[in-house]
Amino acid sequence: MSEFHDDYPSYETMYNHSEEEGKKARKVLWKVFWVMLFITIFELIVGSMAPSHGWSGTLGLKVLFIGLTVVKAAAIVLWFMHLGHETKFFKYIILLPYITFILYAVFIILVEGVYSGYPRNMTRVDKIFIDQQEKLKAGHHGGGGAAHEAEAPHGEEHH
Amino acid sequence: MAHTAEFDAKAAWDGGQSPFRVSYGKMMMWFFLVSDALTFGGLLVSYGFIRHKYAEVWPKAENVFTHFPFIEQHLPLAYVGLMTFILIMSSVTMVLAVEAGHRMDRRGVTMWMFWTIVGGALFVGSQAWEWYHFIVGTHEGALRNVWDMATGTYVQQTYHGATMAVNEYGVPQFANYFFFITGFHGFHVFSGVMINLIIFLNVLKGTYEKRGHYEMIEKVGLYWHFVDLVWVFVFTFFYLL
Repeated sequence: MSEFHDDYPSYETMYNHSEEEGKKARKVLWKVFWVMLFITIFELIVGSMAPSHGWSGTLGLKVLFIGLTVVKAAAIVLWFMHLGHETKFFKYIILLPYITFILYAVFIILVEGVYSGYPRNMTRVDKIFIDQQEKLKAGHHGGGGAAHEAEAPHGEEHH
Repeated sequence: MAHTAEFDAKAAWDGGQSPFRVSYGKMMMWFFLVSDALTFGGLLVSYGFIRHKYAEVWPKAENVFTHFPFIEQHLPLAYVGLMTFILIMSSVTMVLAVEAGHRMDRRGVTMWMFWTIVGGALFVGSQAWEWYHFIVGTHEGALRNVWDMATGTYVQQTYHGATMAVNEYGVPQFANYFFFITGFHGFHVFSGVMINLIIFLNVLKGTYEKRGHYEMIEKVGLYWHFVDLVWVFVFTFFYLL
């Protein structure tokens, strides 16, 4: 019952499997699940501990989180979406264009993002917000910096 | 799986068969997912750009998402952790439905599809709850300059919660990106639940039993796993970093 009119193997002969093979496949899937759950819990613990230890925003922590995310993404794509079971050509045709584009986009955005953050490159929208922040700093909050002001409503409970 | 072993890679390109050994529908689903992943990639990359630009004034997620249903306590990231767990769990039940389909196990497919739909619905509900608390905001609020239409000037006032123009957490862009990216993802989850529901009804009717294979489960499974995949990245870039 394939949609193909050539002698292309049908879906059931290609993918359907027996009880024992199913058991093996399920074992792998549950293993992938436990690994992903462990990574997520680890990320949450580190994420909620980070501020009080002063790790927040450090480069090492960022690299750790992004690295673990890529591991989880690879697990989903290779085992849950079965891309690991497809032919080599199909893997490449899905992954190569995407990875190439994303690596380029990340590179260009890191460079441009840092550059556009310089004061001389600020646009009109930025000045309005900065004016607000300056006024708030000078006025009601008595010396509280802009970064401090963003956290102000929650800061007390946190310490 | 065994089927790749007897596959002759060189002969595959001689014509007369698909060199990828993937059916038309499955391949098109993959191509759609690549294009959709590019959309999400573009959104997250632009989020990264704005975040870099406002690095000093960008709020910390641990200070924004601190609520948990029915518990009046300060629990940073706990609820979003639960949401992530629900979505990963529903991804597992989905792949178990696909596996049951490979054994032509109709009861298994029915059961696992059902739990996948339940998980998806729970996730959409959680996201609605999170949006509600984000929009309503805290009791304290924060001092903001809010544009007053009548006088055409900014008026200083204590502002609670978030809209597209002002929010109490930090720069306006923080709320903009939160609404857009989690909203776009939430809409994907919603569509995924609807598509899963349609396929679930077909399983109940026995459509795939008659067809001789459960490939359709694998196709919607691909979409559903993709939704989980996107959430893994949204979770990292919005809540952890």
